[in-house]
Amino acid sequence: MDKFIIFLYTLRWQDIVDITLTSYILFRFYILFRGTNVFRILIGMTILWFFQRIAVFLGLIVTSWVVQGVAAVAALIIIVVFRNEIRSVLQARNLKSILWEFTSKTVIPTIEIIVESVFEMAQRKTGALLVFQGKEDLEEEIQSGIPWKGTVSKEMIMSIFWPGNPVHDGAAIIEGDRIREVGAILPLSHRDDLPSYYGTRHRAALGLAEISDALVIVVSEERGDVLFAKKSEFKEVKQKRRLKQHLQEHMGIATKKQPFMRREMLETAMAAILSIVFITGIWFNVTRGRDTLVTFEIPIEYMNRDSGMEILNTSVNAVSLDLSGSGALVKSIKPDQVDVRLDLSKAVVGSNSFTITRENISLPPGIVLKNVYPNEVDVDLDVTIKKTVAVQIDWVGKLPDHLVLVEASTDPLSVEVIGGKRILEDITTLYTEKVPLDKLKENGNLSAKLALRPASLKIAPGSKDKISIKYKTAQRF
Amino acid sequence: MIKRTISIFLLLCGISVFLPRAGSAQQDETLAPGEPPQTLTLSQAVMCEDISANAPRNQTVVFSVAREKAVCFTAFDEVSAKIFIYHNWFYKDIISARIRLALQPPRWSTFSSIQIRKTDIGPWRVEVTDENGQVLRVLRFSITD
Repeated sequence: MDKFIIFLYTLRWQDIVDITLTSYILFRFYILFRGTNVFRILIGMTILWFFQRIAVFLGLIVTSWVVQGVAAVAALIIIVVFRNEIRSVLQARNLKSILWEFTSKTVIPTIEIIVESVFEMAQRKTGALLVFQGKEDLEEEIQSGIPWKGTVSKEMIMSIFWPGNPVHDGAAIIEGDRIREVGAILPLSHRDDLPSYYGTRHRAALGLAEISDALVIVVSEERGDVLFAKKSEFKEVKQKRRLKQHLQEHMGIATKKQPFMRREMLETAMAAILSIVFITGIWFNVTRGRDTLVTFEIPIEYMNRDSGMEILNTSVNAVSLDLSGSGALVKSIKPDQVDVRLDLSKAVVGSNSFTITRENISLPPGIVLKNVYPNEVDVDLDVTIKKTVAVQIDWVGKLPDHLVLVEASTDPLSVEVIGGKRILEDITTLYTEKVPLDKLKENGNLSAKLALRPASLKIAPGSKDKISIKYKTAQRF
Repeated sequence: MIKRTISIFLLLCGISVFLPRAGSAQQDETLAPGEPPQTLTLSQAVMCEDISANAPRNQTVVFSVAREKAVCFTAFDEVSAKIFIYHNWFYKDIISARIRLALQPPRWSTFSSIQIRKTDIGPWRVEVTDENGQVLRVLRFSITD
């Protein structure tokens, strides 16, 4: 018990937020994809992952490789094969429904309209076939549908299935409160246990229900019966209330009185609890595993330097950080996630000494700083000034013995440079890069770049960094 | 550095032998204390490989180490009394030698030189100054292979 209380004290508020947020994401993922093939495949993949971990634990090298490979390929397959299904789940909902809502209430009046229409068509013995899409995409199962995209209304449904309408023999595909397609051809069921009075319309309803999660309603033209098909279930519905209930259940809408709602609530609560348990387990595994120590060499970043100053010299450019944390976290650290920053806002011209503390170091969550070496850094700062310095050619090589280089002039004679005051105090001349003598003709012109040493020097705007050289040789006496 | 100082000293001794001796009358022409300084006008300043007949020989801005010597020759307009000038030799921006030279009528030209070695390769300059350190001319040259 004491250990548990001590453990609770070690929890940070960030840890609670971490677990809660990730659990909610997992829970929403379940809500959005439940009942779809994608969800089933994801569960399969999770099982594969556990299997792989067990294989690794038991030292089954080849098995763990194979399972890992299968899982990697399966991830790609899910995205490619179920792209339509994933799209329909994400596109059909607005941001609010993705993040928060459990059902879409806009379909309640639609259900009423549909139920009324279906029973009126049954009374008139008007044949009808209505498909209510579930979470699975039906694009590959349905053929030859004519796009409709009309809002559901009794008149609309009645006119679609009016015997004089060319599309009355096909199915109407209903999505939410809209009729998406009409005149659609559905796959037929091959069951041989169906009553002989069931026609093609009945076989089509059952055919689609068998291979998808869609709910299909059939109104018999001969007998005036209303039947609904879902999965392998194919039942006659005599009461409007029952049909409404089936539709509500299919669309995920229910009232408190209905038992399936209680079942669904229980299922959702279980999913929420499982999400929390699962994520908490992962969190513990990742953050509270065995302690691992690692050393990183991190360059120091200097911040808030006065724009009129420049860094002349530092005692070190990088520090060694000894970090610890759980093995999984330590392994996942990348050097760019760790920063060492020194604030130079209070630094003065000359030598400044800084002590590196925990406040100067940013680490990924869950990683603890054990040691810094060296923890003292000396930074030498200087004021930036402009200075005009002479330009001189830095000749190298050798002229032929019979020649002497009598004259060599530069254009410009001097340039303006920007650099640290203390550096520029000792500099009166800026030299060109090495200019070889070997290729000189009798007289001529050359050009050479200035060699900026130390590298912190800069040519001031308006001054040239390339120098023209005019030279003249003569015969040696 | 000691070797360099000794070699410069020996060379200066050579210069003093080489330059025409001034007579005792010329010695008297040295400025008396409190007398206003005379105007010194540098008429010629060149780097050369040698001095021949009191004139620079093979004027150049590049000296090969093989030549072993670099000479700075300076000539002034007429001076009425003995005066001193300096040839300050710089390797890059570091002073390597400060040579004091006397000018006394009737001769107004003088020179200084340094022995050059492999370690001297690089850019050099000679600043010619008067007694007060005022720079009269800067001569730039390189010592190469």
